[in-house]
Amino acid sequence: MMRRLVPLLLVAGAPLAAHHSVPVNFDQSREIAIAGVITEIRWINPHSRFRIDVKQQDGSVLEWLVEMGAANTMKRAGFPMERFAVGDPVTIIGNPGRRDRVVLLRTAVLQDGTKLSP
Amino acid sequence: MRADEKGSRERRRITGALLALLLASASPVLAQRPDLAGGWMLNGGKTVFGAWDLTDEGRRRFEAYDFRTDDPALKCIGASWTRVWLNPNVLVQITQAADHVRLRYEWMDLDRRIPLVDPAMPDPPRGSIAGHPALGRYAAWYDGDALVIETVDVAPGYVSTMEKWAGLPQSRRMRTIERLTRSGDVLTIEITHVDPANYRKPLLVTITYPRSKFELMEYNCMPEDAAVVAPR
Repeated sequence: MMRRLVPLLLVAGAPLAAHHSVPVNFDQSREIAIAGVITEIRWINPHSRFRIDVKQQDGSVLEWLVEMGAANTMKRAGFPMERFAVGDPVTIIGNPGRRDRVVLLRTAVLQDGTKLSP
Repeated sequence: MRADEKGSRERRRITGALLALLLASASPVLAQRPDLAGGWMLNGGKTVFGAWDLTDEGRRRFEAYDFRTDDPALKCIGASWTRVWLNPNVLVQITQAADHVRLRYEWMDLDRRIPLVDPAMPDPPRGSIAGHPALGRYAAWYDGDALVIETVDVAPGYVSTMEKWAGLPQSRRMRTIERLTRSGDVLTIEITHVDPANYRKPLLVTITYPRSKFELMEYNCMPEDAAVVAPR
């Protein structure tokens, strides 16, 4: 599985995680993809998050933080939270954070190719 | 119909009308109140944030704002009522009673019970929410088709921590007026912040909330979850 950072085309989207204010915390003019293994899942308010380990080309591992909407929002949207588990490989497509190694989830691509967007 | 019957009926009609008029004048709060009850959510609504004209002190504070450390929401605390209203994806549930209005905001589980008062009172009873000093003390009254909420005694902080308005300051001197009106299935909140310490002119914000079919959910914000978390 690909474990590297991939810049994607600019895609604008609707705000998901307003607690930290999306435009303040994330660069919505860019989109990136990171692939790794989920090490932590927190379905919480004001914003849910994953931690994922991303393997670098030199073999080392860097942790990324994946932020997303509030758990309440995800539930109302019918986002299938049960599809994610610690240890699963996943590719996250989203807006890069203005903090280092943080990304706002736009689409999660599961190992079987399923794409899930909150 | 006999003349005395007709006269009696006329007297009852006039008495009823006078009674209704008397009740209305004795209780203006009840007589004209708009029906704002129900669930509302920002999503699909519109926000118009007016221009701001900062004083030197206001500009200094605005430019010093650091989103990584200064947002009270990082500790599950509301920054201002404008900030609270600006949050999408969360329900606001309104109920109206004879002596108060209750606004339950899903965001941070804010339960705002606002006493209805006579606006002419020099020091009316006010509500507040423990643990949220920047949200001040508030009282409300009806003005025609509007519910007017006045908030004073706010702790210094920020009117907004969102969008390009993040870091607009508020001082202890700030007075906030919210006017809530309803047109069909749209709730409009017109907010005026008057804060001479930070602004040369009042700051105006208008936010519309469509009616929502969703139920209020618990938010259960925990500071350890709300804080900015860094990758390890």
